[in-house]
Amino acid sequence: MLTDLRYRLRALFRRKDVERELDDELRFHIERQRETYIARGMSAEQAARQVRLDFGVTDAVKDECRDAWGVRAVDEFARNVRYAGRSLAKRPSFAIVCVLTLGLGIGANSAVFSALNAIVLRPLPFPDAHQLVRIDQYEPGAARASTFAAPARVEDWHRMASAFRGVTGYFLDDLTETSGEFPERVSRAWVAPRFFDVLGVAPATGRAFTAEEERFGGPQAAIVSERFWIRRFGAVDDGRRRTLRIGTQFVPIVGVMPASFTFPDAGVDVWSPSAPDAPYAQNRQATWFVTIGRLRSAVTAEAGEADLNRVQAALGQQYPATDARLAVRVAPLKALTVGAATRSLWMLFAAVSLLLMVACTNIAALLLARNAERRREISIRYSLGASRARVLGQLLTEAMMLACLGSAVGVAVAIGGLHVLKTSASGLPRVDEIRLDAALVAYSLTCAAGAALVFGLLPALRTTGSTIQQGMRQRHTETPVTTRLQWSLVTIQVALSVTLLFGAGLLIRSFDRLTRVSLGFDPSRVLTFRITGNWGETVDFAALTRRLNATLDGLRHVPGVADAATSLATPGVPFDFDSEVRIQELPPEGNRRIVASARVVSSGYFSTLHVPLVAGTGCADDPPSPGAVVNRSFARLYLTGATGLGYHLQELLPDRRPAMSATIVGVVEDAREQGLSEPPRPTIYWCNSAPVPSPVFLVRAQADPATALADTIRRRVHEIDAGRAVYDVRPLAERLDDTIAENRLRTVLLTAFALIAVSLAGIGLYGTLSYIVTTRRREIGLRMALGALRRETVLLFVWQGVSVTTAGCIAGVWLSAAAGRGLAGMLYGVSWIDPLTLAGVMAFVIGVGIVASVWPAVRAARVDPIQVLRED
Amino acid sequence: MGDERLDLPQGTLDLLILRTLSPGPLHGWAISERIQQVSREILHVPQGSLYPALHRLERGGWISPEWGISDNNRKAKYYALTRKGEKRLAAETRSWRKLTGAVGLILDMK
Repeated sequence: MLTDLRYRLRALFRRKDVERELDDELRFHIERQRETYIARGMSAEQAARQVRLDFGVTDAVKDECRDAWGVRAVDEFARNVRYAGRSLAKRPSFAIVCVLTLGLGIGANSAVFSALNAIVLRPLPFPDAHQLVRIDQYEPGAARASTFAAPARVEDWHRMASAFRGVTGYFLDDLTETSGEFPERVSRAWVAPRFFDVLGVAPATGRAFTAEEERFGGPQAAIVSERFWIRRFGAVDDGRRRTLRIGTQFVPIVGVMPASFTFPDAGVDVWSPSAPDAPYAQNRQATWFVTIGRLRSAVTAEAGEADLNRVQAALGQQYPATDARLAVRVAPLKALTVGAATRSLWMLFAAVSLLLMVACTNIAALLLARNAERRREISIRYSLGASRARVLGQLLTEAMMLACLGSAVGVAVAIGGLHVLKTSASGLPRVDEIRLDAALVAYSLTCAAGAALVFGLLPALRTTGSTIQQGMRQRHTETPVTTRLQWSLVTIQVALSVTLLFGAGLLIRSFDRLTRVSLGFDPSRVLTFRITGNWGETVDFAALTRRLNATLDGLRHVPGVADAATSLATPGVPFDFDSEVRIQELPPEGNRRIVASARVVSSGYFSTLHVPLVAGTGCADDPPSPGAVVNRSFARLYLTGATGLGYHLQELLPDRRPAMSATIVGVVEDAREQGLSEPPRPTIYWCNSAPVPSPVFLVRAQADPATALADTIRRRVHEIDAGRAVYDVRPLAERLDDTIAENRLRTVLLTAFALIAVSLAGIGLYGTLSYIVTTRRREIGLRMALGALRRETVLLFVWQGVSVTTAGCIAGVWLSAAAGRGLAGMLYGVSWIDPLTLAGVMAFVIGVGIVASVWPAVRAARVDPIQVLRED
Repeated sequence: MGDERLDLPQGTLDLLILRTLSPGPLHGWAISERIQQVSREILHVPQGSLYPALHRLERGGWISPEWGISDNNRKAKYYALTRKGEKRLAAETRSWRKLTGAVGLILDMK
C-alpha cells in the first residue's frame, strides 16, 4: 500500500526524474540489443532497423509505462486544464462575459448566504445556545402582552422548575461617569444570580461573582467589558486591582468579559449583581427582570413552558394575590433575537438563488452556441479516436474552469457586498457577527461546482451526442434541436427575471405607499435624546417628576427651541404597551372590554409634534389630578361620539406601578404612533412627564436643522444638573427612517437583483439571436436574393425575439404568483397579485426583449446576398 | 526462430519475470534475454510489454529497482525480487503447476 502511494507521489511530483530514468532505461535496452545484433553479424543499419521492429513505437511503450505508474487520471486532468485554458484564452471576450456573469451570480448569492448564515442559521455565540430561552410572564386575557418578572419569582422559578438547568434575569440601567468635560453615560446590566452560568460564558480575566457578592449586604463587585477596560485603563492587565467610581461609591472590578460577549446588547459595559434577598426586591409585583433560562439537555422549549406553568400554578396557590393570574411563555432566545429579519433574509436568499439560476442558464446558452461552432473540431477529435468520455471530460473541464474563475470573482463581489450590507444595515440583529470566513469561500466554491454541472453538462452532452458524420456534414445548416434548446434557455431566463421583477415591483409599490402615508404628526425639526437617569430614583416619583419638569422647563427657554416634551416611547416607533380601562361614567356593556394602545407623555407633547387638538386641552404642566388625552378613534369607538371630557378612566391591571387612573382632559386627531405601516388604533395618552427615570426627550427647533441645537442642549442640561449626560441624540425623522430601514434595504436589494436578472436575460436573448443570424446567413442571403425586403427580415427576427420573450412572460406569471404569495406578509397597501404591477413588469420585459432583438435583426437585414452566395 | 515461437499466455509475463529474477538482480534487457534463452527460444517477450510490466511490478512492491553498472560498463536499471515478490512467486508457481497439471490430465484422458 505504502510503496504504491510513495511510487505514485514520486511519479507525480518528481516527474522529470522519473521520465529521465525511463528514457535511460529504454535507451540502454535499445543499445544493448543493437550491439547484440551487430555481434551476430548484422550491419549497423540493419541492427538499428531490427531493434525498432522489435521494440515498436517508443512513445507507445512510454505511454504504457506511464499508465503503469497509476497517474494517468491526473495527467489527463492536467492536459484537460491546459487545453481548456488555451481554448478560453482564444476567445477572451466569451470567457470574460461568462466569468463576470457567474461572479455576479455567485457573489450576490454568497453575500446573502453569509448574512443568512451569520444571522439566522448559526447558533447564538453561547455554548449549547439552543438550550437558551427567554421566559415571559403574562396575564391570559389581559391587554398587556407581557411584563417583566419580580426578583423573588425568578428565584422561585429557578428553584422549582425541574426542566431548567438555571433561570436568571437582568435589567439595564445607566450610570454616569463624570471624569470628562460632560458626564458620560455607561450602560450597566443588573444581573440576577447565575447570569454568567446560564449563558455559559466566564470572564476572560478575573472571575464571576461569588455567592457572597450576590447576597444583599455582601461585598461590592462589578464585571466590565473588555472595551471599557481598554478605554479606561489601557490594554495591559498589570495585575493591579481596579475600581469603578459610581457616585460616591468605589466598586472593585472582579472580572473582564471577553470582547465577543455582547449580552444583553453590545452597548453594555458594566455588569453588577442584583441581590434577590434585598428588602426592596421582595415585592412580588415588582417588574424588573427580563428572564432567561437554560433548558436541561433534550428538553424542548414547549416542555420547559409546560413545566414552568406547573410551577407558576403552585406559586399561584401560595401567593394568590400576586401570582394566581399569571402564566408563562417560553421561546428560544434566538428566535427572539433574530426575529423579523429572518423572513427578509430568506426572501433575499430565494431572490439571489433565482439570479444565480438566470446566470447559469445564460452561460449554458452561451456555451451551447460556442460548442456548436466547435462541432467540426470535436468531430475531428472523434475521428482521431477520442472517446466520448474524453471529449465530455474536456468540455466539462472548461465549464469547471469558468466556474472556478467565476467563484474567485464571486468571493470578491461577496466581500464587497457584505461590506455594503454591514454599513447600510447596521440595524439588523447580529450584523456584527457577519464575517468573511472559510464558510463563505466553501459555499461559493460549492455554488460554482453546482453551477458548472448545470451549465456545463447540458451543452456538453448535447454537443458530444451527435455522430461524426453529422458534425462533418454540418457547415451552414444549423441543427434545429440545438436552437430549440437555446430558445428554451432564453425562455427560462425571461420567466425567472419576470418573477424577480414582479417581486421587486410589489416591494417598490408597497414602499412607495408606506412613505406617502400621512403620519398625523410632524417629525421634521424635532430632536430626540435621553438624559441619564437611574432606577434608584423611582423610590420617589414626586422628586423624579420635579427633576424632569425642571429640565423640560429649562429646555423650553433655550433660544431656538420652540417646544419640548417627554414621552415614554418614541412617536412613530412600535411600542408594545396596551391599557385596558373602565370608564366610570359609562355603564359596562356586557363583556365589552375597552382596550387601547397606551402612551405616556408630558405637557407640550401634542404642540411639539403638531398633533391637532379636537377638543379640550393637552396634558397640563402641573395638574391638580392625573389627566389623560385620548385620540379620535378612541372617542369614536368607546365614547360613542361624545367628547368624553371629564370622564374618568381607571386601568384594570392589578399590578400597575403608579396606579393609572385619570380624567380625560382632551381629544386629539389620530396619529400613527405605532409606525408607518400601522393604521392608528384607539389610543390613551396618560399624562405623566416621569414614567421612567430617562424618558425620551422631544425638542422642536424653530429652524432647520434641529441637530444644530444639540450642543446648546447639552450645555443647558449640564447647567441644570451637572451630574447627568445627554445621549442618543438624533432627529426624530431619522428614527422613523430606521423603522423602515430593513424594508428599504430589502426593496433596494431585490430591485437590484431583478434588474441584473433582466439585463442577463436581455444579453441571453441578444446572444442567441445573434448566433442564429450567423448560422442562417446563407438562408437570409437567399431570401433577400429572391426579393425579401429588409424591413421584412428585421421584423422576422424581432418577432422571433418578442415571441420568445412573451412565452417567458407567460411562464413567469405562474412563478410570479408563487413569489407574490411568498411576499404577501411584507406588503403594505398592495395585493400580492397586483395586476398593475404584473402588467408593468411584462411591458418592461417585452420592451427589453425588443431592444435586445433589434440589433441582431438589423444585422441580418444587412446581409449582402451576393457576398453570401459567393462564399460557397 | 521461426515457427517454434509462441506468444505468452495472458498473465504469465509477471510470473516469468519474477522467476527470472529469483537467482539475482537483472536489468530489463537481460530479463528478456534470459527468458528467451531458458525457454530455448520458444518464448519471446514482446519488448513493448516488458517495461510496462516491470513498472507495474515495481509499483506493487514485488520487485525493487536499483541503478548499477552493467557488464559493458554502462548505467543500467537492475531489478531485484523483494520479500513480497518471493511470496507471490511461490504462490503463483504453485497455482500454475496445479493448473498445467490439471490441464494435462484432461488432455491425457482416454
